[in-house]
Amino acid sequence: MLKCQHVEQRADALVDGEKLPLGERLALRTHLMICRHCRRYLRQLYALVSKLRGADQALPEDEAEKIVTRTLEDRGR
Amino acid sequence: MANADLETPEFIERLRAGDRAAFALVVKHYHPRLLGAARTLLQPADAEEAVQDGWIAAHRALPKFEGRSALLTWLTRIVINQARMQLRKRGREIQFDPTEEDATDALAHRFNANGHWQQPPRAWTLSGPDALLTRDELQRCLETHIHAMPDNQRLALQLRDIQGLDFDAICNILDVSASNVRVLLHRARARLFEMVDRFQETGEC
Repeated sequence: MLKCQHVEQRADALVDGEKLPLGERLALRTHLMICRHCRRYLRQLYALVSKLRGADQALPEDEAEKIVTRTLEDRGR
Repeated sequence: MANADLETPEFIERLRAGDRAAFALVVKHYHPRLLGAARTLLQPADAEEAVQDGWIAAHRALPKFEGRSALLTWLTRIVINQARMQLRKRGREIQFDPTEEDATDALAHRFNANGHWQQPPRAWTLSGPDALLTRDELQRCLETHIHAMPDNQRLALQLRDIQGLDFDAICNILDVSASNVRVLLHRARARLFEMVDRFQETGEC
């Protein structure tokens, strides 16, 4: 039987969608079925990691243009 | 233009050939991400400078870019190296070997000697108008704690969780093993989990 602390340390692999060996996957799944604390930990860790994800932003054209100009000027030196 | 379009072989060929409009598109779409990466290590003004230096270095090296990694990975590596160079000039070096930092798992104290929870996670309010993770105070608190992390943990968190890069790209950018990145990321997430859990209980950062 896995310990909760082991699940806490491997929960990242589940959140990251890592491919785990079959034995470990089954052991984690079995533990999660019977341990509500670890289920809660995993669910909340997922929520936290999803929250952190930033939106893809783009620069306004004129700001991008300034950077391009500076870059090309430097190259011209 | 979607970021995926900037990674096609046809687009990379235009860049390598010195197409100014193609370069401007890359700057437009990737600059905010590169600045985000640089700001994990540097103050805002220094980060701007590191990214500008990164663009100059990248523009110079573009004809030799072979596309072995994604363009974004290659650019991020250049910018992080510029940032590390700036730090080195000030006598600061970032270690990516987790054994060299004194941080431990922020949740370790919540387990008993048998490895079972002695202080299990509290139930977070995840939905409804008061949903914990949507609150502005919590957002500010997260930012404060991310800022206070060791540089290597903050950088791992930035590249993986905030920017969504995969482990191969992160290892390529930082020149470290995937297992080191995983340890740093785990420590960073555990810190934030502990912080959010405390916030749920006390409402304080």
